[in-house]
Amino acid sequence: MASRKEGAGPNAVPSSSATGAAGKGKGKGGSGDSAVKQVQIDGLVVLKIIKHYQEEGQGTEVVQGVLLGLVVEDRLEITNCFPFPQHTEDDADFDEVQYQMEMMRSLRHVNIDHLHVGWYQSTYYGSFVTRALLDSQFSYQHAIEESVVLIYDPIKTAQGSLSLKAYRLTPKLMEVCKEKDFSPEALKKANITFEHMFEEVPIVIKNSHLINVLMWELEKKSAVADKHELLSLASSNHLGKNLQLLMDRVDEMSQDIVKYNTYMRNTSKQQQQKHQYQQRRQQENMQRQSRGEPPLPEEDLSKLFKPPQPPARMDSLLIAGQINTYCQNIKEFTAQNLGKLFMAQALQEYNN
Amino acid sequence: MSRFFTTGSDSESESSLSGEELVTKPVGGNYGKQPLLLSEDEEDTKRVVRSAKDKRFEELTNLIRTIRNAMKIRDVTKCLEEFELLGKAYGKAKSIVDKEGVPRFYIRILADLEDYLNEMNKNNAKALSTLRQKIRKYNRDFESHITSYKQNPEQSADEDAEKNEEDSEGSSDEDEDEDGVSAATFLKKKSDAPSGDSRKFLKKMEDEDEDSEDSEDDEDWDTGSTSSDSDSEEEEGKQTALASRFLKKAPTTEEDKKAAEKKREDKAKKKHDRKSKRLDEEEEDNEGGEWERVRGGAPLVKEKPKMFAKGTEITHAVVIKKLNEILQARGKKGTDRAAQIELLQLLVQIAAENNLGEGIIVKIKFNIIASLYDYNPNLATYMKPEMWQKCLDCINELIDILFANPNIFVGENILEESENLQNVDQPLRVRGCILTLVERMDEEFTKIMQNTDPHSQEYVEHLKDEAQVCAIIGRVQRYLEEKGTTEEICRIYLRRILHTYYKFDYKAHQRQLTPPEGSSKSEQDQAENEGEDSAVLMERLCKYIYAKDRTDRIRTCTILCHIYHHALHSRWYQARDLMLMSHLQDNIQHADPPVQILYNRTMVQLGICAFRQGLTKDAHNALLDIQSSGRAKELLGQGLLLRSLQERNQEQEKVERRRQVPFHLHINLELLECVYLVSAMLLEIPYMAAHESDARRRMISKQFHHQLRVGERQPLLGPPESMREHVVAASKAMKMGDWKTCHSFIINEKMNGKVWDLFPEADKVRTMLVRKIQEESLRTYLFTYSSVYDSISMETLADMFELDLPTVHSIISKMIINEELMASLDQPTQTVVMHRTEPTAQQNLALQLAEKLGSLVENNERVFDHKQGTYGGYFRDQKDGYRKNEGYMRRGGYRQQQSQTAY
Repeated sequence: MASRKEGAGPNAVPSSSATGAAGKGKGKGGSGDSAVKQVQIDGLVVLKIIKHYQEEGQGTEVVQGVLLGLVVEDRLEITNCFPFPQHTEDDADFDEVQYQMEMMRSLRHVNIDHLHVGWYQSTYYGSFVTRALLDSQFSYQHAIEESVVLIYDPIKTAQGSLSLKAYRLTPKLMEVCKEKDFSPEALKKANITFEHMFEEVPIVIKNSHLINVLMWELEKKSAVADKHELLSLASSNHLGKNLQLLMDRVDEMSQDIVKYNTYMRNTSKQQQQKHQYQQRRQQENMQRQSRGEPPLPEEDLSKLFKPPQPPARMDSLLIAGQINTYCQNIKEFTAQNLGKLFMAQALQEYNN
Repeated sequence: MSRFFTTGSDSESESSLSGEELVTKPVGGNYGKQPLLLSEDEEDTKRVVRSAKDKRFEELTNLIRTIRNAMKIRDVTKCLEEFELLGKAYGKAKSIVDKEGVPRFYIRILADLEDYLNEMNKNNAKALSTLRQKIRKYNRDFESHITSYKQNPEQSADEDAEKNEEDSEGSSDEDEDEDGVSAATFLKKKSDAPSGDSRKFLKKMEDEDEDSEDSEDDEDWDTGSTSSDSDSEEEEGKQTALASRFLKKAPTTEEDKKAAEKKREDKAKKKHDRKSKRLDEEEEDNEGGEWERVRGGAPLVKEKPKMFAKGTEITHAVVIKKLNEILQARGKKGTDRAAQIELLQLLVQIAAENNLGEGIIVKIKFNIIASLYDYNPNLATYMKPEMWQKCLDCINELIDILFANPNIFVGENILEESENLQNVDQPLRVRGCILTLVERMDEEFTKIMQNTDPHSQEYVEHLKDEAQVCAIIGRVQRYLEEKGTTEEICRIYLRRILHTYYKFDYKAHQRQLTPPEGSSKSEQDQAENEGEDSAVLMERLCKYIYAKDRTDRIRTCTILCHIYHHALHSRWYQARDLMLMSHLQDNIQHADPPVQILYNRTMVQLGICAFRQGLTKDAHNALLDIQSSGRAKELLGQGLLLRSLQERNQEQEKVERRRQVPFHLHINLELLECVYLVSAMLLEIPYMAAHESDARRRMISKQFHHQLRVGERQPLLGPPESMREHVVAASKAMKMGDWKTCHSFIINEKMNGKVWDLFPEADKVRTMLVRKIQEESLRTYLFTYSSVYDSISMETLADMFELDLPTVHSIISKMIINEELMASLDQPTQTVVMHRTEPTAQQNLALQLAEKLGSLVENNERVFDHKQGTYGGYFRDQKDGYRKNEGYMRRGGYRQQQSQTAY
């Protein structure tokens, strides 16, 4: 295990797709005034996160922890981290804030960076675009402007390529979240779509020179066979899972749309009623006027016709975002697999 | 006067005196409480004809009566009270009295009262003295009357009686003119009185006998009556006792009377009454029985209500009038129905004794039966066993008569006026419908069965009557076949069918089993003697109804019964064809609930029949409707669900209760459920195996799935106990293709006892079932495990499922043809070679995803429509087309499923 992680580590380059996505996000966001342009992660942090998941996370369960570091110009350096303990229902009175404070104080005593710069979370097949994540990232970013969330995908990592991504909420989304108004109109006004919710920040993994030297040495010693996970052709399971999840989201989306549709129908019906009422009023007033009577008093139309509660659109945005993530995952995965398959075919032909 | 008729043994003057009282007697007080219906009737008729005078006088007599009663028990206080009331009432009646003169009875009570008070002066001193003073004062006004009365009580009474007679007749004539009330009414009034009175007397006497004090009174009263001459004759109950004293005189007076009456032809009606009243007495006179009877003492007076005044010549007219009288009381409040029945039976006896002909007897019998049905005022209650027995006997007798006398015509359409009860030369015509009676009888029988605990011996006893009911229906059927209209025949045929369709014809079944050549000639004859097969019978009856019936309901019922009968006797194809041809399934929901229940029963029976034939799919389809609702019990009319108790009120519950099918017609619900579940299992398990990965697969049977889920939820799975658990366990075994375990779960001791032995041909059903299990297990096995085989030898399969090779071959071939199994047969090696063409999991998922995305897009377009307005005709059409297409596909898919499972 360890060797694999290191194998990925020394390359010290962000995965190509990650940068691509980030670049696109930035391009579309177009703001450029983001506080952080790059995230530099210490090897230690990566290992600690991986270890944390290895030890505590299983299946759909996620693990979370706090990132510590410092901001250097427009670069966020993450130098250390510590996990949130897995707490069960029994110890409901467990105080997380207290724990964090305690932890940070202790780390400070041993002269470690103690600036809170974000948090990390593991994910199950890339399903991380949720309301919970949005809310907590918002509160982080609200308190500490530079903070990021690191998403670690253990499954992809197990397939041979480390998957670690840093995300931040776009300034637009921050504004919307600050207003706490998720009605269709507000979102429309904010001109926000699922593509503009998160921005990915490019990651650089940095190791000290000593460690790099050690890596080189180790690489010489280790056999090539150790890296064969990369070439695994067993793809069906992963793809199936992804499809399944995608399907679930599509279902949710469908429901959401139906809800929205009902809302629309109700609104338009009410509009019609309102209109009719107004017309009737007008006619009556005209008649009254001709008879020389005073017009009817104005009534509060909004009281008479209470507009239906608009459904919160944030959920559908999140779902759309999630679908987008899945799709990208699948695209990425299939692209890689196709390559592998072609390679395998070529090998077969060569052998024959 | 009627009093006179009752006893007939008093001297004329006395009896007429008392009679006069009776005529004017009101019906209030204890009189009204009499159990006899006639008293009520009398009241009613009186109310019609009563004049102001009558009314006043009635009031007076009523009071007088109370006073006399009070006198009898020496209740002077009461006497005083009543006397005061009497005074007031007399004041009210003053105007009439002025016109008519002071009524005799009034004088009489005054005189009596005075005498009485003089006689007893010790008790109740205070009230007594007051009363005494009052009456003295009061009587001063009537001094002359009283003295004349006292001097010649008999004569004055006689006059009075005479006068009264004229009066009443006059009034009756008037009535006839004015109100159109028939003479019969009047007559009835007259003749009612005696029977009512006699009743009353009896009751009184009993009371007195029971009462120890009263006996003392009796003696006392006896002396009193002698001392006060004839006055106390009307003291009821003593009459007969006293009669002995006057008896010597009686015959002569009677003779005189009769002679006088004969002269007066115009008063024939009254005469009739008296005569009829006399009749018994005369007969007894001849035998010299009267003396003895009277001497026997008052309590021995015949309990039977007197029908006619003695000596009346019993003629048709009289009897019919009497009958009408009795019938008019029918249905009235306070009518004693038991007494009415008794009266009618007495009447029929009298009619028979006097040889009045069968016509009248038939007529009365009709009415007896009708009043027997009337006995229970409530629809929900059922006849008492003895009444029921009586009813059966009566109907039997009636039918006997009708058979014996083919010249009697019976019919509902014969009007009362056009009845011919006596003229023997012409055919007798009697109003009444034997069919209605029999139908009612059948309903009563059902009611009795509904209300008897089905697990008691009593039920068995009642059930024995079914034979009688059937016999009666059979006889009526024969009778109507000769005389009835087609409509009537249809109705009685339906009754017959209703009593036949649910019975399994064991004899016919036996005959079928034992081939004719095996049985000896004599046995065959015997079998033939035992009557035609119910199948033949049903065929005949039903066909007649199909051809002749005009009402839809009878035909519907007949068809259903016919189908049921077919199904019961395993004639599946006939039953099914009849069901399909009748198109009942389309419009049965418009029928009334009892027919719907019959329909449900028929469908269930049809399903069970299909199952016996091994047609699991048909069985499942037939039972689906009943079973899927979970209310089989209710739908079959075999019990009410507790759950819905809150939902319905008392009334509805009663109605529903009446709809219940008697227990002996019940279809075993456990059998029903078992048949359903097993057929569902045989269909569903292979289907589930075939469509394991298909997200869109539909359940064939929700009920079955429910049972499976219940089974899965069980935390600890023991050996199966109930029928359901057995089926669930068997299904699990079948899922694995383990037919032996499945077989052992479905057919074992427990299941045999619970279910399979209930079939008439249990062994055949079991054999069929085993084979079905083998076949379906083979299919399931192939579906489930085909992916792990490259090829499999058919011989191996045949061995595994203990089926012969051709069967295995045909099953596999069918599966291949239906594209259920991607394989081909390799003939030379007798193996099945599998092809892998099923979509992979990913492909399946992708397909599903595509479908979901399709719906997502559709939904999205709708949102778009809203924004754009609804002019997107192009899109709409396209969408519709898409949907239609999809629907078609689905239907196609379904058909495919059907063809898969139907073999």
